[in-house]
Amino acid sequence: MKITVLLSAGRHPVSARPCPPAVELQALRLASGLAADITGLHAGPSADGVADALGHGLSTLNLLTIKGDSDPLVSLAATLKATTPDLILAGRQAQGGEDSGLLPYALARELGLPILADVVRIDAGGEGLLAVEQVLPRGARRRVVLRLPALLTVHPAAPAPLPFTFAAARRGKITQLQGVDSQPPSAAPEERPYRKRPKLIAKSAAGASAADRLKAATEAAAGGGRLLVNPAPAEAAREIITHLREIGVLRR
Amino acid sequence: MSRTRRDPRTERALHLVAGTARPRLDRAAAPAAASPTGRPRRDPRAEVDSALVPGPARRRLDRTLRQTGLTGQTGHIVHLIEPEIALTAPPRIVVVEEPAFLVAAVPDAPGGRLTAHDRQVLGAARLLAEGGGAVVALPGGPVEELGGAGADRSQVLAGESEFDPEGRAAALAAALRRLKVRHAVFPETAEGGDLARRVAAALGEPLFAAAESLTARAVTRAARGRRVEQRATPPRLVSLTADAVAAYAGAPREAREINALGEVAAVPRAIVSARVVPADPATVPLSEAEFVVSAGNGITDFERFRALVAALRATPGASRVVCDAGLMPRAAQVGASGTVLDATCYFALGIAGAPQHLQGVARCEHVVAVNTDLHAAMIERAGLAIVADAQEVMPALLAALQAEETRE
Repeated sequence: MKITVLLSAGRHPVSARPCPPAVELQALRLASGLAADITGLHAGPSADGVADALGHGLSTLNLLTIKGDSDPLVSLAATLKATTPDLILAGRQAQGGEDSGLLPYALARELGLPILADVVRIDAGGEGLLAVEQVLPRGARRRVVLRLPALLTVHPAAPAPLPFTFAAARRGKITQLQGVDSQPPSAAPEERPYRKRPKLIAKSAAGASAADRLKAATEAAAGGGRLLVNPAPAEAAREIITHLREIGVLRR
Repeated sequence: MSRTRRDPRTERALHLVAGTARPRLDRAAAPAAASPTGRPRRDPRAEVDSALVPGPARRRLDRTLRQTGLTGQTGHIVHLIEPEIALTAPPRIVVVEEPAFLVAAVPDAPGGRLTAHDRQVLGAARLLAEGGGAVVALPGGPVEELGGAGADRSQVLAGESEFDPEGRAAALAAALRRLKVRHAVFPETAEGGDLARRVAAALGEPLFAAAESLTARAVTRAARGRRVEQRATPPRLVSLTADAVAAYAGAPREAREINALGEVAAVPRAIVSARVVPADPATVPLSEAEFVVSAGNGITDFERFRALVAALRATPGASRVVCDAGLMPRAAQVGASGTVLDATCYFALGIAGAPQHLQGVARCEHVVAVNTDLHAAMIERAGLAIVADAQEVMPALLAALQAEETRE
């Protein structure tokens, strides 16, 4: 099976040094578990940071050199159309550009491939099939069997990346290819240094006392429920079970 | 020194009975503006009377007025509560007959119920629809209370099977094309974010992903590893992070069903089978749990508590007191110094509800409480409050659940 892992030029969240995003290294680990021919693919001006992925279980990295502000979609699509891998893996959200997580979807559309998001486990599922596990909110999982070729994005809950080995990073090969320069994606939005915005909190009256604010933060939005005083235990149990059924948390 | 000076003449004039030649005063009738500040004067005695809880020999007061149902006969409480009920007339439904433009909102609505995030998405759509627009809700299945959340129109757009993201995205893209919506707002959740990107790819349009603030004029988002804030006028497709915009709080809207089904392009489907594996409630982290049953100081039999948690298929939690005593693991502690829950339902057994504990429960949609103290804060917070000994209710609950299982 031929697997291509898409890599982006990320930055370390603390030190801001160039390094591949953790979730893409996790994608590499998932790929290396499939005993396949794995290639890394990056479109950008240089291999700064991306080259570190060679130490995490990647042997070959194809670098499509394009200008810093051009859209990587065109180059990636052209290369992937030529190489036709069975499986393309990407992180949930690339770093360094817009960070919108839209590129895998646009790429899948361009290549006519199906896409599945938030994968944490990949197993071979028979001839031309793949069994994957997708993360759902609240700890649930979805087991999906899908046909190859496909594009999958990996969730941060996937197994941790393989440890970095310096020798492997030295051995790894980087092949430089000329990418296709294109216009920047769209009219660039105005940019300014990032500023954290306050999240919404429960509303309390302006100028209210600290006690009022605490009350607003701890009280239910919809107050005034049902109150039963000293019911028989059996009756209380019946009421509770009926209520939990109505809410939908108690199934069957 | 700052107290307003009384004016006996005006006060007297307020008691004057009109229509008689001779000046007559009615001292019994308290005029509305009797106090110098214009505020009606409080009657502490009447308030105390009305808060009296009937029954126990010891005098007990309930200041929260939760006793309405119990003290239907006593005159005061009815008098205190009725005027408010009379004032809140049934809210008029707002109708937008001829919208100038449409703004789509695509709530996740898992299980046919709007989440808080979905309501914020509808609130954001409502913001963008100011100035004669209408909000179209396009959920993936039938959802109630869309009107209350601010939707003027609605249309269910489902995929062919239970898990068919490709089909749903294609139907949604077709609907957005047909309705010619000005904006479409998605929640930035696992499902909503995935759908938003699929639709953006299908329409070939940029997506303003994970917007952190939104007004009719500008949206912002973090980019380049959260080092830069991008700012633009709202584009057509926006996905919104949680707690960025307030939910709609105005009068309910009609949520009229319309036909928005567009011409759906054939989509290649690659999914052969899909099966949801539910999370094991016993091992799921408390912060992700959907249903938490929690033990407090009113519980002594922890064997039975664990059996009850297992029977309810819930995640066990505990109050600080119980964790401090070593009766439950520290990881199970709910509250400001433990875990802040994001559960759908919280079932508190024998927990009075310290403010720090209530902070941990603040985001829970439903609370059920069993406690011996009628005046406990948890009883006040609960949607279903039972004043009883939790130690006695637990075996009854277990017996009722077992009886149900044997019946089936």
